[in-house]
Amino acid sequence: MKFQWILVVIASVFEVGWATGLKYANDFTSWTLTVIAIVVSFGLLIKAATILPTSTVYAIFVGLGTIGTVLVDIIFFNAPINVLMLAFIALLLVGVIGLKMVTGEKTSGRMPS
Amino acid sequence: MSWLILIIAGLFEVVGVTGIQMITKGKKGSGFAVLGGGFIISFILLSMAMDVLPLGVAYAVWTGIGTVGSALVGMIFYNESTDRWRLLFIALVVVAVVGLRLVSG
Repeated sequence: MKFQWILVVIASVFEVGWATGLKYANDFTSWTLTVIAIVVSFGLLIKAATILPTSTVYAIFVGLGTIGTVLVDIIFFNAPINVLMLAFIALLLVGVIGLKMVTGEKTSGRMPS
Repeated sequence: MSWLILIIAGLFEVVGVTGIQMITKGKKGSGFAVLGGGFIISFILLSMAMDVLPLGVAYAVWTGIGTVGSALVGMIFYNESTDRWRLLFIALVVVAVVGLRLVSG
């Protein structure tokens, strides 16, 4: 396993960070951190995709990002998420990841080709 | 209203991704303008939609629309493959977005 896969995981953590910031940031400091998280997340993702198989990178990234945002919202913010929502989010993930995998190395998403 | 804003946010993500593709094809100046403009508008709209919608739902739908939208742009304008698997996965995302709309109110 190449160490660059760690970049994908770290990128996902920053992705969850900026998504959380877009919803909950409320002052200059938290908005600044949100913007920094966007830049770091994109930078790491593009870096990882230049080294590793693009579609696999994106599949892991979007999976971790989606699960992460749902968990953060439930655990830290008491979000009103129910079983049906989780089921549809899982279905959406299957669609997004499936589309990425069958599209292969061609670009459709936040990825250089 | 927040759902409409969220969908438009996803469409601007597609605009931003088009900028990435322009950059990889050598159109650096205009590519970076489209990339930056598309994503900045997308993030502002996503943030507005998130004022009302749960974080996990909004993020998932935003990602889904971005991915499906980019695939559709590729199919319609760049002659990318329209095989049945791609169409099936696009349909799954659409069903999931509609379902989330119904169960999220």
